[in-house]
Amino acid sequence: MELYTLSAAELAKLLREGKCTATDILDSVFARIDAVENKVEAFVTITREEAYAKAKEIDEKFARGEKLHPLAGIPIAIKDNICTNGVLTTCSSKMLYNFVPPYDATVMQKLNDCGAILIGKANMDEFAMGSSTETSYFKKTKNPRGLDRVPGGSSGGSAAAVAAGMAPISLGSDTGGSIRQPASFCGVVGLKPTYGAVSRFGLIAFASSLDQIGPFGRTVGDVAMLFSAICGRDPMDATSSKHEHADVLAAIQGDVKGLRIGIPAEYYGDGIDAEVREKVMAAVKQLEEAGAIVKEISLPSTKYALSAYYILASAEASSNLARFDGVKYGYRAKEYSDLTDMYERTRSEGFGEEVKRRIMLGTFVLSSGYYDAYYNRAKLLQRQIADEFARGFEECDVMITPTSPSTAFQFGANTSDPVKMYAADVCTINVNIAGLPGISIPCGNGADGLPIGLQIIGPKFSEDVLLRTAANYERICGGFNTVADLA
Amino acid sequence: MKIDIKHVAKLARLRIEDNEMAEVEKKLLSVLEMVENLPELTGNSSGLDRENPMELRKDEVKPSMKRDLILANAPETRSGCLLVPKTVE
Repeated sequence: MELYTLSAAELAKLLREGKCTATDILDSVFARIDAVENKVEAFVTITREEAYAKAKEIDEKFARGEKLHPLAGIPIAIKDNICTNGVLTTCSSKMLYNFVPPYDATVMQKLNDCGAILIGKANMDEFAMGSSTETSYFKKTKNPRGLDRVPGGSSGGSAAAVAAGMAPISLGSDTGGSIRQPASFCGVVGLKPTYGAVSRFGLIAFASSLDQIGPFGRTVGDVAMLFSAICGRDPMDATSSKHEHADVLAAIQGDVKGLRIGIPAEYYGDGIDAEVREKVMAAVKQLEEAGAIVKEISLPSTKYALSAYYILASAEASSNLARFDGVKYGYRAKEYSDLTDMYERTRSEGFGEEVKRRIMLGTFVLSSGYYDAYYNRAKLLQRQIADEFARGFEECDVMITPTSPSTAFQFGANTSDPVKMYAADVCTINVNIAGLPGISIPCGNGADGLPIGLQIIGPKFSEDVLLRTAANYERICGGFNTVADLA
Repeated sequence: MKIDIKHVAKLARLRIEDNEMAEVEKKLLSVLEMVENLPELTGNSSGLDRENPMELRKDEVKPSMKRDLILANAPETRSGCLLVPKTVE
């Protein structure tokens, strides 16, 4: 058995039994990276030397008999919009092509404290704006389950690295579906936690009222373990919550007897491929046979989600990305006549087309005379959508929907039409708008052989229930943990 | 509907060449068309996150990051300061 094919929990067990070392795990993972990274292109930066130095430290601690966190010695890939001290962090943008953060994001600090080993920074859509990782300035990540297909986005590198066996676990960020949709496309598990559950200090901001960091893994247990390591209040992020999180690792052992599953009809409409609907409903049926109670519910405001999302996200992005001015860090234009000209040339040369489009849209909807018509209305709709979910959760404990309307699409399929690309997020964005947790898990393959994902949504801070539901389906299926065959 | 692309670009500190204007406007209009379907809602949207009021840190004096660490990422520096084009005539 190759170590790179094992889950983080299995590796943690072998480490404790003395059957392998952290260095052995890195040998296996880096051999896998050497064998398949040229096909998948999941990484912007690989931190081999630093990783081996850290592994040596961990192995010495194990040798001394120290009691270490389950993540100690486990390799992890981190999305390239999460700051890593001394390691290039580009947001997959020319604008930050040379940015080396002088500090760690809180999540990175926590993982370092656990002894997890950073092996590289994962490719993404530029500034997390996209659904296919095609807007990366550096490279196009391929879907390990079908190399002619996109891995989804924006956390495409994080999902692809895990699916390809180049890392057992990774972190991504999710503003409108950027963890769940690539998890669905790549056939892995991805959790977008409740807004406020995980600190965003050191996450390069896209849309601050929606962004959330979350874990990827090939098993529900690994995702639960990683979530429990990174969640919690952080004084450095005023939006992080003081909520006392349930023990998710204990929770996943529970069953689904009596669990009420809501099926929101609006998520199974015309825009969703028939085979996706069928696979998701087949999974729901299996959960029902395991004791869950299934009921139809309605979320009528779903149809406004894309509109509200692109107004809110673009408005916030236009404000957040104002900091990239060529003065403090990152790219600066070579030639300019004065300060304003330097700003304009730096930003026009440093940002890619999609980022500029969203900055323009955001600036427009916030500009004088349009604020009430767009931004204010979208903000009010955000409340309406959140209230609707809250009423829905009076009738059920979780909701199950498709994660994406289709399996992974081909490169270039949606790049010329932004509206078509945006529609890829139609099942996931409401969860961000309402600040809820959502998880995507694999539920079979389409006719093209590519993975289909289902999404489980719960009330705020119900990660334990989402993970329990996901773990039950995982047990019914006999496990998800498969590494893509890239021979 | 028309968007004054030049004006919006100026607000956003982006430079859009004359030959790109039409294409930028076309794509922006297609996105705006998508977002036009919002229902009529009125009211004040402020204070919507009432169940999660943000708590700020106390304003305390603490050691901060070293200057050379911060300046290491700057495109141009001189004498421990960020260097920018002349701003005052």
